[in-house]
Amino acid sequence: MISGTGVTKTYRQRGAMLGARDVQALRGIDFTVPRGGAVSFIGESGCGKTTLGRIVAGLETYDSGDIVIDGTSMAPLHPRRRRRHFRRVQLVHQDPYSALNPTRTVHQTLLAPLALRARHTGRSRAWAAGRAEELLALVGIDPGYVLGRYPHQLSGGMRQRVVIARALTVDPEMLVADESVSMIDVSMRLSVLSLLKDLRERLGVSVLFITHDIATARYIGGGSELYVLYRGQVVERGPTEDVIAGPVHPYTQSLLSAIPVLHGMEVPGPERVVPTEALDAAVEDTGCLFAARCPFRTELCTAERPELTGDAHRHACVHPHRRAVIPREAA
Amino acid sequence: MTIDPDPAAAPGPHAAPGVRVRDLTVVYRTPLGELPALHGVSLAIEPGTITGLVGESGSGKSTLALSLLNAVQPPGRIAAGQVEIDGLGDVTRLGGEELRRARGRHLGYVFQAAQNSLNPLKTVGKQLLDLGRSHGVADPAALVHDARLLLDRMGLPGARVLDSCQHELSGGMRQRVGIMFALVLNAHLVILDEPTTALDMITQAAILRIIREIHKERGLTTLIVTHDIGVAAEVTDRLAVMYGGRVVEHGPTTEVLGDPGHPYTQGLIRAIPRLSGDIDAARALPGRPPTLGTVPVDGCVFRERCPRRMDVCETGEPPVAWLGDRTVACHAAGAAPREKEHA
Repeated sequence: MISGTGVTKTYRQRGAMLGARDVQALRGIDFTVPRGGAVSFIGESGCGKTTLGRIVAGLETYDSGDIVIDGTSMAPLHPRRRRRHFRRVQLVHQDPYSALNPTRTVHQTLLAPLALRARHTGRSRAWAAGRAEELLALVGIDPGYVLGRYPHQLSGGMRQRVVIARALTVDPEMLVADESVSMIDVSMRLSVLSLLKDLRERLGVSVLFITHDIATARYIGGGSELYVLYRGQVVERGPTEDVIAGPVHPYTQSLLSAIPVLHGMEVPGPERVVPTEALDAAVEDTGCLFAARCPFRTELCTAERPELTGDAHRHACVHPHRRAVIPREAA
Repeated sequence: MTIDPDPAAAPGPHAAPGVRVRDLTVVYRTPLGELPALHGVSLAIEPGTITGLVGESGSGKSTLALSLLNAVQPPGRIAAGQVEIDGLGDVTRLGGEELRRARGRHLGYVFQAAQNSLNPLKTVGKQLLDLGRSHGVADPAALVHDARLLLDRMGLPGARVLDSCQHELSGGMRQRVGIMFALVLNAHLVILDEPTTALDMITQAAILRIIREIHKERGLTTLIVTHDIGVAAEVTDRLAVMYGGRVVEHGPTTEVLGDPGHPYTQGLIRAIPRLSGDIDAARALPGRPPTLGTVPVDGCVFRERCPRRMDVCETGEPPVAWLGDRTVACHAAGAAPREKEHA
């Protein structure tokens, strides 16, 4: 199990003329990913979802809070000692075109980490080679076809599978998939999503799924939880299907309303919410972070920042109200 | 729907033009010889409509869009066919100065990633004046005025945006600036190449709304090139689905989505992650889209991935069948009753 409590991160931007400006990327995030479970973080660019993924994968430091990996708290450990634990979490990048070294064959790409592991554990190189083939079969590609090939000879979907196979070489507890399907052709997107689902079921690998495309979060398997991030804060979280079918925070509702309606197959939700656009990102840090764009704001909203409340399905809104915003099947 | 029912309406310079693409073949020179990115494509774009051109990478959608401006760059070239645009004639025969004038005046093009199509060293206003000069605009002040009105119309502070460089603008703002440049010389055929790629969902929704409203207000013929069926579904009147350098299905958007006729369209729609409905009903299409080098020479380009493959698909280019208001290029279309999946 991997969890985080009160994780914060602030980036200090040094402006030449305006002086230093702090950007709060994460404002105290709590999350729990059970073994074999899945959690999706959704939000727009700049909401902090990628920063969170990098922190959980050990690629970025955090300012305060704690991350617990398999019962071990990272906070008291020296950064060098953390590394061993963070290896249990592997990142699958967004862009399968740049995540693989173009001068190495798939065989070389997979063998490097496996050979290292073989040496550390006193196993043979033959084991490493065999394991490489096993992993490729596991991610659904024919080892005979891809092993000798270079990345440019493979389609985006296949490359992403190779990237996932490479992440699996270290037997991770969790994969962090940051926009892992957004660059893959639509017709093949679902096959990568169902691979993640499959790995959860067959290997007990958990998945931290980071995306701006909420609909894809439904396809990483049962029992998943959805967290909606806005400007570094979780504004709504709950079982994925619950949050999508019955969002209560106006920001979640805005995101879901913005998803195009497939006219002819669907009719728009009757209560679609259109927020004010954040063309000039006003830095309003008192009260609800979404208040400036919220069509339902009242004076209460700017008085105090709402905290996440509720049981299974939680929200941080002063005026929570369920709205039917997602499209329905056309009759 | 905004289809103009009167075909006799004179296609003057300020009316929405129609476009007729006939047997268009565009080839790219490669080490393997000249390979077709578009193979005998015929497509009629009716005046006043918003048409979506959807397809996966390598389907030829961007090549087709560039052909409408006769802007296919070497190593590509238009090998055969015509692109006839009302008020301009066959643009494949235009060249040099004539072509340069047509672009901008008649044809507005909003580039993919408008993020990167602006000059980073010049303010938007200066780039606007450059545009005016290169098209011999007599009254630059009026041009700036028009640009400001357009920007204001799209919800931007027009005066401020004209004084800004691209790095001072957000992605959504740049996209609107791109649309302004395409329209400010009063073009009535507008082509938008992936207009919302790299934009956030809420910004995307706003841009799509603006595209639809401006299309209507200015009486345009609009073509949207996109890989995202959702985007096309949200704004278009008609949809042309491309695969392997062919238009495999073309018709009213609601019909194409509600009752897809081509097995590729059916598979593509079934592969879209949806917000509601049965998760298990969604399924990826097996295989991968063909690339320039792997498009089969004979027979149907989709047969490798097709669940309804027949013997005839190996050899014969599928005939274009009319189903009501719609064309479907498939041997199986109309032959067997289509399964209705999204009733």
